[in-house]
Amino acid sequence: MEKISINPFIDAVQEAFDSMVGYPANRIEALPAPSQVHLPDLIGVIGLSGTAQGVVALRFPMTTALAVINAMAGASFDKVDAAVIDGIGELVNIVTGCAKGKLKGHTISISLPTVVSGDICRLSNAKDTVWVEVPFESKLGVFSLVLTLKQVVANRQEVAREGVNSR
Amino acid sequence: MKALIVDDSQIMRRIIVSVLKKAGVNDISEVNNGQEALDVLKQDKDIGLVLLDWNMPVMTGIETLKHIRTTNKQLPVVMVTTESEKERVVEAIKAGANDYMLKPFNPDDVLEKLRKYLESGGK
Repeated sequence: MEKISINPFIDAVQEAFDSMVGYPANRIEALPAPSQVHLPDLIGVIGLSGTAQGVVALRFPMTTALAVINAMAGASFDKVDAAVIDGIGELVNIVTGCAKGKLKGHTISISLPTVVSGDICRLSNAKDTVWVEVPFESKLGVFSLVLTLKQVVANRQEVAREGVNSR
Repeated sequence: MKALIVDDSQIMRRIIVSVLKKAGVNDISEVNNGQEALDVLKQDKDIGLVLLDWNMPVMTGIETLKHIRTTNKQLPVVMVTTESEKERVVEAIKAGANDYMLKPFNPDDVLEKLRKYLESGGK
């Protein structure tokens, strides 16, 4: 069974930050402890269906979310409102759409984005899936790409149990 | 030159407005979806450029484009979307899109690409 690489998603995050946010995002080994990154979080979530199923999320501390949307939109929002939430949803939509184009050989549909906020310390995975968290840092703050993917074979006879691969 | 931005994301509309203003386009209408775009186009004949997202509620960009082309073959319509698959691009061009821009984009690259439509006054 061919595994689904998460590299297209990592590349898509970096492309989106380079081009639309205007600040490069670089991978880091681990996020700082939660107390150092100004919880609560703002998380943009989008679902994948088709030959690769799963969830893709971008998880930002509030301060990073504000800085990212301000940089992207040339704005000066000082609190999380409908426009900032819309921006986080659009960013996860752009990243997922960009990654979808890089996942060759798959037919994938993506859902409308959802944005959740709060002191969320842990994301739990469903059966047959595993969460992968890829931390990033930029001059605007730290954040992470969080995803779980499950490849579905065309004839539905078998579902990959370990369908995630990182570089 | 008057432009119409059709996108359900207010942040994306704000980014595109900023690009258009840099190019000297200050007369800009914004709507949330394709149906609203058709309503505006019916009433406002001065619009000379449409920037159209693909995935929107109520009416998608591709449906909107097909509706526009039933009555107006000349109006420049540029798709601005995350839909990067070749089939989608071909579908849009066949339906009458003049150009196709992928998100994520660099605003300066968008400006460069739109310049030909802006300089021709939407012809």
